[in-house]
Amino acid sequence: MHSVTAIVVAHDGARWLKETLAALPRQTRPLDRVVGVDNGSRDGSAKLLTEAFGSHNVLTMPRSTGFGEAVHEVLRRLPPAPGQEWVWLLHDDCAPDAGALQALLWAADHDPKAAILGPKLRDWLDRRVLLEMGVTVSRSGRRDTGLEPREYDQGQHDEIADVLSVSTAGMLIRRDVWDELSGLDTSLPLFRDDLDLCWRARAAGHRVLNVSDAVAWHAEASARRRRRISTSEEHPRRLDRRNGLFVLMANLPFGAFARSVLRNVFGSALRAVLFLLAKQPANALDEVAALGSVLGHPWRLLRARKARRNGRKQSWPAIRRKLTPPGAALRRLADMVQGFLAGTGPVDSAGRHHAAADTGEEDGDELLTDSGGVQRLLSSPGVVLCLILAAITVAAERTLLPGGLLGGGALVPVTGSAADLWRLYVEDHHAAGLGSGTWAPPYVAVLAGLSALALGKTWLVVGVLLLGCVPLAGFSAYAATKRMIPYTPARVWLAATYALLPVTTGAVAGGRLGTAIVIVLLPVYAALAIRVMAGSSRAAWGFGLLLAVGTAFVPLVYVLVAVLGGLAAVSFGGIRRGVTRSIAIGLGTPIVLLFPWLVQIAQEPGRILLESGLHDPRLSDPRLAAESLLMLSPGGPGVPPVWATAGLVAVALAALLLRRHQMVVAIGWGVMLFGLLVAIVVSRITVHVGGAIGEATGGAVPVWPGVPLAFAATGLLVAAAHPAHRITEFRAARGLRRLGAMLIVVVAFATPLAAAGLWVVRGADGPLRHDVADPVPLLAAVESAPGEGTLLLRARDGEVGYTLLRGRGPLIGESDLEPPGEASARFGAAVAGLASGRGGEYARTLASSGVRFVSVPAPVDPALQRALDSEPALARRSLSEAGGLWRMSGQVTVPPPAASGSALHRGWLWAQGALLVLVLVLASPGARTTDPDGDYTDAPAEEGPRGRRRARDDKGRNDKGRDDRARGDRGREGGRRGRGGEDRGGDDRGREETVPA
Amino acid sequence: MRRLIENRFGLLALVLIAMGALFGVAFVSRPAPVTQARPQAVRAPVESVTAVCPAPAGSRVSVVTPPGAGGPGSATLSAIAAPDAKAADKKAGEDPGEKDAVIDRPGLLWQREIASGGGPLMVDGTGSMAAGLESAQTARETSGAQRGLAGVRCVEPGADTWFVGPGPAAAEMTLYLANPDSAPADITFMVYSGEGPVLSERGNGAVVKPGGHRVIRLRDLAPSPLIMALRVSTRSGRVAAAVKAVLGEGRGADWLPVAAAPATRVVVPGIPGTAGKRELYVAAPGETDTVVRIKAVLEDGSYALKNKETIEVPAGSTASLDLSTGIGGQPAALVLESDVPIVAGLKITGTGARQDVAFTAGADSIDLGSVVADAQATGGKQVSRLVLSAPFAPATVEVRLLPAKGEAPAPVEVKLAAAHTQEIRLTPRGSKDAFSVVVRPLPGSGQVYGGRVLDEATKEGQLVTAQPLAVGRIWALVPPAVDAPGVVLP
Repeated sequence: MHSVTAIVVAHDGARWLKETLAALPRQTRPLDRVVGVDNGSRDGSAKLLTEAFGSHNVLTMPRSTGFGEAVHEVLRRLPPAPGQEWVWLLHDDCAPDAGALQALLWAADHDPKAAILGPKLRDWLDRRVLLEMGVTVSRSGRRDTGLEPREYDQGQHDEIADVLSVSTAGMLIRRDVWDELSGLDTSLPLFRDDLDLCWRARAAGHRVLNVSDAVAWHAEASARRRRRISTSEEHPRRLDRRNGLFVLMANLPFGAFARSVLRNVFGSALRAVLFLLAKQPANALDEVAALGSVLGHPWRLLRARKARRNGRKQSWPAIRRKLTPPGAALRRLADMVQGFLAGTGPVDSAGRHHAAADTGEEDGDELLTDSGGVQRLLSSPGVVLCLILAAITVAAERTLLPGGLLGGGALVPVTGSAADLWRLYVEDHHAAGLGSGTWAPPYVAVLAGLSALALGKTWLVVGVLLLGCVPLAGFSAYAATKRMIPYTPARVWLAATYALLPVTTGAVAGGRLGTAIVIVLLPVYAALAIRVMAGSSRAAWGFGLLLAVGTAFVPLVYVLVAVLGGLAAVSFGGIRRGVTRSIAIGLGTPIVLLFPWLVQIAQEPGRILLESGLHDPRLSDPRLAAESLLMLSPGGPGVPPVWATAGLVAVALAALLLRRHQMVVAIGWGVMLFGLLVAIVVSRITVHVGGAIGEATGGAVPVWPGVPLAFAATGLLVAAAHPAHRITEFRAARGLRRLGAMLIVVVAFATPLAAAGLWVVRGADGPLRHDVADPVPLLAAVESAPGEGTLLLRARDGEVGYTLLRGRGPLIGESDLEPPGEASARFGAAVAGLASGRGGEYARTLASSGVRFVSVPAPVDPALQRALDSEPALARRSLSEAGGLWRMSGQVTVPPPAASGSALHRGWLWAQGALLVLVLVLASPGARTTDPDGDYTDAPAEEGPRGRRRARDDKGRNDKGRDDRARGDRGREGGRRGRGGEDRGGDDRGREETVPA
Repeated sequence: MRRLIENRFGLLALVLIAMGALFGVAFVSRPAPVTQARPQAVRAPVESVTAVCPAPAGSRVSVVTPPGAGGPGSATLSAIAAPDAKAADKKAGEDPGEKDAVIDRPGLLWQREIASGGGPLMVDGTGSMAAGLESAQTARETSGAQRGLAGVRCVEPGADTWFVGPGPAAAEMTLYLANPDSAPADITFMVYSGEGPVLSERGNGAVVKPGGHRVIRLRDLAPSPLIMALRVSTRSGRVAAAVKAVLGEGRGADWLPVAAAPATRVVVPGIPGTAGKRELYVAAPGETDTVVRIKAVLEDGSYALKNKETIEVPAGSTASLDLSTGIGGQPAALVLESDVPIVAGLKITGTGARQDVAFTAGADSIDLGSVVADAQATGGKQVSRLVLSAPFAPATVEVRLLPAKGEAPAPVEVKLAAAHTQEIRLTPRGSKDAFSVVVRPLPGSGQVYGGRVLDEATKEGQLVTAQPLAVGRIWALVPPAVDAPGVVLP
């Protein structure tokens, strides 16, 4: 018959040992032999063991002994017992229920092949919480219990289950099997030794059962770091990860092993990057080091694989079914990303056995973090609004059906890929045109980055940002006002009105990419500014980064924000701690990130008022009427009539009459008046720029007051929408008030409806078109040698505009490069001479600048055509409706590429990149500063179940975190909160302790 | 203050006051409307001119540059050759060929009889000799099929040239092509006959290599048209084209002048006041039939001709109309207006037993002045007339004669009333020397059109040749050129 030897291994476990030892005599199936091992405890565990078992039954081992070693030592000394001998392994923190052994043996009786049996493990403190019912492992080496976090045991999993492995806590193993398998692998002193043993047992043809009728309570003291461990110098997290990988790779058959290596190399790299982003460099290091440690000792791995060769392949099909399904890895990755976005940091459970509930606060934008499926998405008013705005956009932009390149107004025809933009940004000397030595403006880098995200398709990025500006602005305004305006209909109204402002439609029609981006970013600025005002430095970094992006496109944004920020610092700086610092971060980041470019801008103050792209005087109204400005209409192409926004102003004025919320309304109106003042001032200024047709007026371009008016509109909208929930009160009232409420609603919604209607009727195009031909004719592109250029001439309003293109159309940003002064003056004179048709050496001058073709796009000016025809050095290649093309005969000198390699520029680019990464890391969500592990830290080792109290506590917490729970099982592996990273210090490591896991 | 803010209407009042103030600021600061001055092109002397005299053998070649431009400069008259070949010649140290003549005195007419035999000549002027360089060839035959005065401007190579006149069935029409450029010229011909466009079976193209020239009999292209408009255009490169019409023994011969490119309003100037037949040719090269309204600008005003108010021109074809009874014997210009672009030309027939013909054609107004190289040959047997018209607005024109030698006489100012034509007989006092004419509208003048007619009375009949005044290559308008990346946008 059966003979059972219980082995209790203790190590500094006096807190739990008493209860464990008390549980042994209570077993309904009495134990035949009991042996205690004390691994050099310092807290009197040895005394407790001696008291319970007698001194001859207690073995004392050194402090650095591992669990497996201790068991080996006991069994080496213990003579075999008669009959079928079983060994029952118990940790000092694992108290079996009275009927546990009986149930285990009963199960063993019914399954002769069962060699290893384990009880159902429940939590030590919260006695009804399930910990384990068999453990499996994923293909990436992660431990998986298959249980929900904090799942209560209601018997829902009860059965005798054939599992991959069971924990060594309460493991009942046949002694002959132990001997056959040579027991626990002593090279795995901690973590996963159980998995390894069970895997080997299964490979040898035995069965591993989890018996749910047998219950044991387990404190998981070392895994939860309730006590120091140090059979190894390494951190438990890294140790756990390494052992997990090692066991997996040692036990897999070859094919699966090779796949596993690949999978883990990529997986670990990805996880390490995510950890880095989440500002948990220690975790990232552990992740990489663990993999490195496994793969870095190939001989050890080979030895282990050799030792496990027998039966590995034959048992694989059965074991494979027990592994976590492959989809789980993806789901975990998704959870990780989701958690990152939600600001809780990557959820990861390495080093922890227990699945902890996610107590992260409800954070961020519900739309961003919510993955609740299509239905939930569609029921969100923000998404519906966005879809409606998208439909309006499509209807209005029907006139912009693609037939060529997108361009017009301030936008050069969009050509080139992300790589071209990137090259433009990093190169010291630009070959475009006559060459230029100026550094490319930083918005080129922003566009290059976005294009890279769009797989290099710049046209896609520009198209989405510019043409999709209206729905994007609506979405951004809706999402950003979540905390500002609790009343959803008001938010919808605000978002729709904001998205359809005259500035927005004007920006689309005028091809003003910069303004379009700023309009999308402006609500985000407002939302972040509120958090900056609360002193959040992470929000301040994010604010600074986004402000830098906006400033790169439209420098005026920075001035506006800086003035408001300065005012806010003066008003709130003294009230809340850290506000001044946050504001300084927010306003300082753009200056640091854009430094050399800002210096350039500051040297020509007029450029502060301009935005990225082409500067065409026809895009703005030099005599903008006063009523247009007051009605937030910036003039230029694509703006609706002045009265379209009257409703908005009227509603905002009405908001002033409310007694409550006067503070917000006053601030909103203050922003409005400030923005309006700036708009009036800038709209009266003309800036002299080179490169604009309009030389008659000295190249003066009237400033377009779009961005200040967008600012003003933002203030006005907040002022109007914030107290809007009182409409419901009024509507509930009777008589005049009710009538007034209805009137206000009608007037308020008149603005977005009128704007949308007018936009759809008039169409979205202005100067912006989607059928611009490639500026370099195909023939010229084909026949030009590399470096040879095409001179593009266009006679307009009595003057001849020209640009020199080298083999391709201009990239976005190339128009902002400074041409070399003297060379371009000489070139300009030569072009004028050529266009006059007076003969002479002008054509030769052009040829010496690398002009191979002269192209005149339609409509071809007859005088210009005659002049070009009369030039002997030019041979006409074609002349048609589409334009004319002349080829320079004879020698064409391609200017040699200028020597590159300005150390200063290169150094700055690296510095800028490093600063950007730093700001990104500081701004991105990651580590929390609160300690979510509080439950266990100070929990006293009380005896007896205290499930009720714990359950109560949990209930409160669960209600709070309901949303997170609803997101699914992302906490399955246990949520490791940020403290995990920082917490682990040197003191964790050096101490030598041994602990049963 | 505090009460004001806490009052329900206080904040509203404050905001309204602020809005009012901002409105006031915006209203007051609104700039006055500025009328954008159209940028003025700068007048600059032409720096180089190349012209080709199509067949100067046996003719008198006249070359002149009006005085004015300073600095060095010279013009060369040489056999046609590609610029590269010429440069190579110079490099080799060879003398410029014997035929090469170097002319370097602006303001004086250079005239020479060219021996028969030999191809086209090229006039190449640079520097001070370029601004207004004008050259012409005039042949005088007193017998044979070629009897008559036949003169033509030496033309600059171009990409698109129009001729309007009799067809190959009515006259021996010869097309002279020359390419003085360094790129080959790929030429296409298009003939618009009285019956419509003629598609030649033998192909309607030719390639003239750099420095090369070709002579093409139009009969080979289109044998049947009695009247025609000919378009010589190049797909690539440029070509100097000229057409000679020989109507046959006793019926005269002359060159067709280059007609102005198709336009909806064409002025045919330079019709002399001598007697003889006048036949108008109008072609509508487009794809729409049209009715062309004809108005004559005569010495006593401008009016439509009785029974000849309009002429119908079918699409893609040429029509003719005899205007002898309308404008015969009076100096005139014709203003033709149509809804579609047209080109026009006119045949002038001299009087006498043996006739001679001359041709004029639609021309551009001479805004920047015009030069006629060959106004009168030495000896003074020929009579030179200038027919000037101001069809739309009054104009004042300065006429200056440039003699072959000696002092130039003082310029004469001619006042032209609106819608009137004036004929001026060019006779320098006391001199029988050859001279050239420079015609320059004075500032403030309306559009001026004109022509020069040269005739000589002989016993057998009058010899005549004519040429419409072409815009002189004196000045070029240099437009302001702006480096504008925005030109990539339509």
